[in-house]
Amino acid sequence: MKMEEAMKSAPVLQVSNLTVAAGEREILSAISFEIHPREILSVIGESGSGKTVLARAIASWLSDPLRITGGEIRFRGQDLVKNPGLARKLAGREIAYVGGNPAGALDPTMTVGAQLVEKLRAVRPDISATEAKKKAIQLLNAVRIPSAHKRFEEYPFQYSGGMMQRAMIVDALISDPALLIADNITQPLDVTVAAQILKLMRDLNAQFSTAVLFICSSLPVACDASDRVMVLNAGKVAEMQPPRALIADPKSAYTAKLIQELPKLWDESTRAPGEERDAPVPVLSIRDVAKAYKIRRRGEAGLSVVQAVRNVSFDVFQGDNFGVVGESGCGKSSLMRLLTGLERPDHGQIIFDGEDVGTASAATLRGMRKKFQLVLQDPYGSLPPQWPIGKILEEPLKIHGIGSAAERRDRARAVMNEVGLPDSYYNHLTGGLSAGQRQRLNVARAMILEPKLLIMDETLSALDQTEQGKLLDLFERLQALHGFTYIFISHDLTMVRRVCSRIAVMYLGEVVEVAPNERLFFDPGHPYSRALLSAAPTLETRRYRPEDCLLEGEPPSPIDLPPGCAFASRCPHAFDRCRAENPVLRDRGGRALAACFLNDETPAVSEKTYA
Amino acid sequence: MFILRFLIRRLLQGVVIVFLVSALIFTLLRVVPGDPVRLMAGGMAPEALIEEIATEMGLRDPIPVQFTRYITGVFQGDFGQSFVRPASGAAVGGASFDDSTRGERARVLDLIAQTAPMTIQLALLAMVFALVIALPIGVAGGLYPGRWPDRMALYLSSLFVSLPNFWLGIVLALVVSVKWQLVPSIGYHNFAYTILPAFVLAIEIAPFLIRTLTVSVAGVMAQNFIDIARVRGLSRNQIVFRHALKNAAVPLLNLLGVQFSMLLGGVLVIEFIFDYPGLGLLTINAVMQRDFPLIQGIAIITAAAFVLINIVVDLAATAIDPRLDY
Repeated sequence: MKMEEAMKSAPVLQVSNLTVAAGEREILSAISFEIHPREILSVIGESGSGKTVLARAIASWLSDPLRITGGEIRFRGQDLVKNPGLARKLAGREIAYVGGNPAGALDPTMTVGAQLVEKLRAVRPDISATEAKKKAIQLLNAVRIPSAHKRFEEYPFQYSGGMMQRAMIVDALISDPALLIADNITQPLDVTVAAQILKLMRDLNAQFSTAVLFICSSLPVACDASDRVMVLNAGKVAEMQPPRALIADPKSAYTAKLIQELPKLWDESTRAPGEERDAPVPVLSIRDVAKAYKIRRRGEAGLSVVQAVRNVSFDVFQGDNFGVVGESGCGKSSLMRLLTGLERPDHGQIIFDGEDVGTASAATLRGMRKKFQLVLQDPYGSLPPQWPIGKILEEPLKIHGIGSAAERRDRARAVMNEVGLPDSYYNHLTGGLSAGQRQRLNVARAMILEPKLLIMDETLSALDQTEQGKLLDLFERLQALHGFTYIFISHDLTMVRRVCSRIAVMYLGEVVEVAPNERLFFDPGHPYSRALLSAAPTLETRRYRPEDCLLEGEPPSPIDLPPGCAFASRCPHAFDRCRAENPVLRDRGGRALAACFLNDETPAVSEKTYA
Repeated sequence: MFILRFLIRRLLQGVVIVFLVSALIFTLLRVVPGDPVRLMAGGMAPEALIEEIATEMGLRDPIPVQFTRYITGVFQGDFGQSFVRPASGAAVGGASFDDSTRGERARVLDLIAQTAPMTIQLALLAMVFALVIALPIGVAGGLYPGRWPDRMALYLSSLFVSLPNFWLGIVLALVVSVKWQLVPSIGYHNFAYTILPAFVLAIEIAPFLIRTLTVSVAGVMAQNFIDIARVRGLSRNQIVFRHALKNAAVPLLNLLGVQFSMLLGGVLVIEFIFDYPGLGLLTINAVMQRDFPLIQGIAIITAAAFVLINIVVDLAATAIDPRLDY
């Protein structure tokens, strides 16, 4: 779609001087823009910039205390602000909205199909139920939901997140709207699925000539998706340009800063942490670990087996920053539970400091926990709200019977100081802490026992870019000071690129590749790693194009796995052998391993050489 | 398949529950003071005769032996015979120990079969009244949390809860039946006699239903899919009646099940006040006369009803919300 062409037609939506306030406080000030048919306009800005308020204002969906205090929203020339009756009539019919939370967007007690039909007939009573059903199924096919006929009869809880978001796009498009408001639609999705949804949105935009207002918080995604990008900063339009011009020549200092702060995946100047390999013996050595859970599935007799973790082997050395990456459901967190002894593996060994975590007695395990500690993702749920900070920090010392009360207090204060929490917080409750401070406290609680190994399970995911940077600096400083070894479990490739020395890539419970940082990003040995890299949000020229790296579809269910390679169903290079036989990790030289038949046949890795 | 597995599992659990309940009732009846034979034979009967009758009836055997004998009968559908009630009719008690009619005492199952339909009728009508009262008030309260319908729901519930049912029963009987002669009450001759006791029971139950409805409707209305339904273009009526109420129905259904079971088992006070010939009245008399077989029979039947009602409620809940998996 050429922009010049779009500009010629009359705009679908004209917003002029739109001002929205919550009480006395202005959330949006004098926003003006227009969208033409077939155009995709992205709106980006950090949290609190007013993006979602803008989306809701246009959808006539502001709730107290938000109010439009000035300006116009003209849809095909008619002002929706002055005419709420018209706005109500257009909602869902001409102006469609898709939100960022597909999981809760439909009634859980009705089938998806019934709700699609219900919606279409609510806004277009002239359409018969049979026609509506036909149209719904046709659109479910158009968004590439497999076996749409069957899916039509299923309930929302039987859909995965990505499927549900597709269904919500169908829900929005089913009434042939002129304008689609897409509010953070890729936010809760995994990168490979999000990439598919974006591609789908562009295809549909071309096919149905719908104008799209695309709200998102990631500059690369916004630039990737749209014809023009509008940058919002603190409720004002910072600038509006086509993506290429915006990146090449940002007009506002704010945009320039945004672009500059974006972490880069393939920039040579990104310094990957070096590997120090003095110690010949790994701190943590994992061999062939597997864990399956038994669950009962609806409507079926007997139990099904979920293979959460399979054939996982790797070594972590002293001073390493080891990364484990993968999408949701790939077994990262199950692996974390095994590593920390919260659960026992079905088979395999987890040797930490000469002892097997998997078979250690409860008492031995408690002793060992002094040496490895865990920091979790959720900064809110992981701290007891009624305990003062000092008491939280001293608890691990008490459990392990270390020091007198006075010594424990001194130790707590020292650790607070190290992670950058003010001394005066010692008697405070956690209620007033920010997410970043909470994660500092979590790190402090983990390191007060002076462990050798810290396992960070998505520790930074809940934090914004700036706060993440600060904590990463802190981790680096603590490592230099105490010689910690870190395992970072994460879905964020840019974070892993910045901090990890070696990285394991997991897919459906298996480690499919283990490689040093630069090797993984510049010469990945597994098609799934390439797919992940191709989908990562970045402004850089991609080394791997999504079109070449990933087939449509989502990971198969970890129940009843097909024989052969788990990635075969989505891999563009899969051949017959992949579907019959599961490849094992093989050495690619330079201490990189990958489990793929496309690599040169080298002997499978022996007992000794997972390093 | 799913339903079959569910039914088998739940019915087996139910059998265990009923068995435990009957064992408990059976034991408790025999350890608390009060000798049924003394009541049957009359205060003037000689001690030796009482012992003789008691031994003859097996009441001096060890409790486990008695229980085994009893439960074997129950499994064959024989709940025994009442100690006191003659098969022929209404006469209660046995003032003289040499009463010649003792041989033809009523079968427990017959007594229950005569009275249970009356109580079921009363309970069902009470549930209908309670729903008619609670649905509009509770739903309105849930749709406008914090506003006047919500407050009205709270005030009305408080009022209903604080009315003692025996007082309300007596007042209504006096005013509505006696003074205004609108509906009959006291005793039972036709369906109209059910209305007043059912209404009193409904007032007693309604506050619980109102509260549950208010909370669950308000909870559902705050959910994302309700919020987003408006931008999807659904009308207010569609949102409330097709989606909100359906989702709010499951907690209400659970409560209805519990309330209905309680009505079946124990509308003692109301049936007593209105002299309504249901299970409650039968229970009161049975307890007063130490009529062990009858008490046991009523306990087992109500426990079984409780189990069955809960199975039905859970099945209905799965039909409403397919995510539930019992």
